[in-house]
Amino acid sequence: MRTLAVSLVVLALASLAHAQATDPEAELVVAMPDDTTNMDPRIGMGSIRSTYIRQVFESLVDVDPQGKPVPGLALAWKPVSDTAWEFMLRKGVKFHDGEPFNADTVLFNLDRMFRRNLDKHGIKDVAAGTQFDKTLPYVSRWEKVDDFTVRVHTSEPAPTLWDALGREPLVPRAWTIKHGVDALNERPVGTGPWKLVEWKRKTSMLLERNETYWGTRTLARRLRLQVIPEASARLAALRAGQVSLVDAVPPLDATVLAREPAITVVSGPQKLNCRLYLNGRLRTQYDSGGKDGLYGDTKTRLALTLGVNREAIIKKIFQGYALANASPVATVSYGYAAQEPYPYDPKRARTLLAEAGWKDTGKGWEKNGEPLVLNLHYAAKHYGQAFDETTAAVAEMLKDLGVQVTLKPLDFGTILQITQKGTLPYNGGFAACRTSNNLDADDFLRDWTAFTLINWTPFPPELLAAYAAQRRELDAGKRLRLLADLQRQVRDWAPVVPLYQEVKVYAHAARVTGFAPLTELHMDFRGVGVRK
Amino acid sequence: MRAFLLRRLLHTVFVVWAVVTVVFFLVRLTGDPVLFLVDQSATQEEIAHTRALLGLDRPLAAQYVDFLAAAARGDFGVSIREKRPAMRMVLEHLWPATVELAAAALVLSTILAVPLGVISATHRGRAADHASRLASLFLQSMPSFWLGIMLILLFAVHLGGLLPAYGTGTWRHLVLPALALAAAPLAQNVRLVRAGMLEVLDQDYVRTARAKGVAEPGVVYRHALRNAALPVITVSGLSLGFMLSGALVIETVFAWPGMGRLIVQAVPGRDFPVIQAGVFVFALVFVAINLVVDVLYTVADPRVRLQ
Repeated sequence: MRTLAVSLVVLALASLAHAQATDPEAELVVAMPDDTTNMDPRIGMGSIRSTYIRQVFESLVDVDPQGKPVPGLALAWKPVSDTAWEFMLRKGVKFHDGEPFNADTVLFNLDRMFRRNLDKHGIKDVAAGTQFDKTLPYVSRWEKVDDFTVRVHTSEPAPTLWDALGREPLVPRAWTIKHGVDALNERPVGTGPWKLVEWKRKTSMLLERNETYWGTRTLARRLRLQVIPEASARLAALRAGQVSLVDAVPPLDATVLAREPAITVVSGPQKLNCRLYLNGRLRTQYDSGGKDGLYGDTKTRLALTLGVNREAIIKKIFQGYALANASPVATVSYGYAAQEPYPYDPKRARTLLAEAGWKDTGKGWEKNGEPLVLNLHYAAKHYGQAFDETTAAVAEMLKDLGVQVTLKPLDFGTILQITQKGTLPYNGGFAACRTSNNLDADDFLRDWTAFTLINWTPFPPELLAAYAAQRRELDAGKRLRLLADLQRQVRDWAPVVPLYQEVKVYAHAARVTGFAPLTELHMDFRGVGVRK
Repeated sequence: MRAFLLRRLLHTVFVVWAVVTVVFFLVRLTGDPVLFLVDQSATQEEIAHTRALLGLDRPLAAQYVDFLAAAARGDFGVSIREKRPAMRMVLEHLWPATVELAAAALVLSTILAVPLGVISATHRGRAADHASRLASLFLQSMPSFWLGIMLILLFAVHLGGLLPAYGTGTWRHLVLPALALAAAPLAQNVRLVRAGMLEVLDQDYVRTARAKGVAEPGVVYRHALRNAALPVITVSGLSLGFMLSGALVIETVFAWPGMGRLIVQAVPGRDFPVIQAGVFVFALVFVAINLVVDVLYTVADPRVRLQ
């Protein structure tokens, strides 16, 4: 007890010293690769948008730098029965305009998320990125227990409900009803540590410290998110001292920057798993031209997986700023279980192809007169230069294996079009990256349960059953075991060829203190200061 | 003159209608904007719901009729991605950022080109001519993104922050992007002025002017340059059109919030209303510039008549 007390005092003194060493009037300028297109969280929270939106709006569940859930606008959450969760809300929280945060706020936001009672509130629906009524059909109703307790009912056990609902940023009720949902994009009002002062579209967003913030007061007075699309220009601005911190540093520049004394490079793994998706659908499951997908067989997919030299890609292209991850779940998700890595083993890959019935003709592989071809589509210049280089390198590695690969660089929209219309060739595939706004592993594992843009190898019945079992298990320990087992099964079944998990790199001036990359998509500037 | 302007006005209406119509149908062939709005894990049902919400499930002909009727009132709809009026977004980027940058680059590329081209022509084969031609070649050969980065490194990093590396707001912000944008047209104009002057300086009327005792600066700038200016006016007009319609690379390097980046981001994002509003403005800009160029011809050369 005494040790704990001493530790707390030391920690408090250290925090105080840190706060005193920083300039309380400082403006923290962060160079961003792009602006956000929306501030209303309902519309969508892609990686860049998330950094803007989460400065102003907060969710029930917050997250620490290690990716662990911590109390946000909810102090606690717990299942109160097999089919109900309760969220105990933080008291004394106010939105930037003074509106109090309470259970009515949460009910209003749930109405928006599930598109219920919109007419009653007099607000319109928006084209939402996540349609909760479709993705969480088992959520049946919600109610106010008291002013600071909300209960959500489900039609079946839902162990991840705290995550699925709890990570959605919340908007004010009265303000939104008064000003309309479009106003959330123009002059958003949240409970967050920063208040929006000025937003010059495609240029910069100026935010100011929220003096009435319920949490620790921000160390800098102002935060400017400055759009500088070109990476080399972002870094030049950092070297010139015109910005404090740079987002999305290319891996090649990171190694050079790390040698400069006035600059600090920090990095952290992200929830961004980049993969090759292969067509393994049956002819009845897409616009096939009468043929089953060529990659419906696990051994063929595994062969391609073993033909990719991930270590070389990570070392040469990413300069070490990426991870090889054999699990379908990001390493920083709750419930992640490390899986046996896929080795780079061309010999074993060839054996697997032979076991799958492919015959080596000397010019490539063939089965029943059908050559082993991969029409590999990828979104050029969408995920960054390293992704494009990786795709090209993987194509060459697969060619070495005897797969006839044709690279098809397309724009991102065309890839989406192909996957949505289901016109991917029967011998086709595409390289893409999968991200997540949620903390739980479930978000990654449900990819192969329903037909979506990225599900080209739907789970067989036994994996569907294993998925459903973990999704209904309320016992945390038991569920973790089920998740681990499911990840092992998915790893062995190899629905995709995993390429890499991104490690995001940031650089900041040495006088900037307290910046820690999150495992989430956004950046948190609450503890970041600029030295006097 | 009035008949000319009336004819050009009718011409403008037709050109703008034709351009926006072609763009309306072409952009819809490029794909579905709804796919950018939904999660990767969205089902067909979710996609269909969002499409209906945006009115994109209606027959194309109905969408076109509605679009024309609204466009005639100046309403180009709401950006699919930003949920703001598309025309307002385009105009916000046109003025002041795009106009400022294009005007500064145009002034630099024409004002500097005239003396450099004239000196090059009047000192043909000598050191000044060689230097001018070499500089022109250099400026035309340099990729603008490289020149932009070099200017940033020199003026913002190595010269201790003499000029800002990015952004807008003051004349200091304008210098580097304007220089980078003006480089290629400047070099082109220098070569045009030089070529035009060399041709004109051999003409009889120049010789006559000299024989009448007109001072050399008068010969060069009043008699020769005016006649050599027509190609420069034409090319500058075209350059201005391209600068206004999007100096994408320069805007990207210097984080300049101009039209180029707005439209180039709207195209892959299938933001139909923004593309349509942007193309409408581009069409107007090009038609207006062509009109101004035609009028300027008559000023530079009174023999040209507007018909």
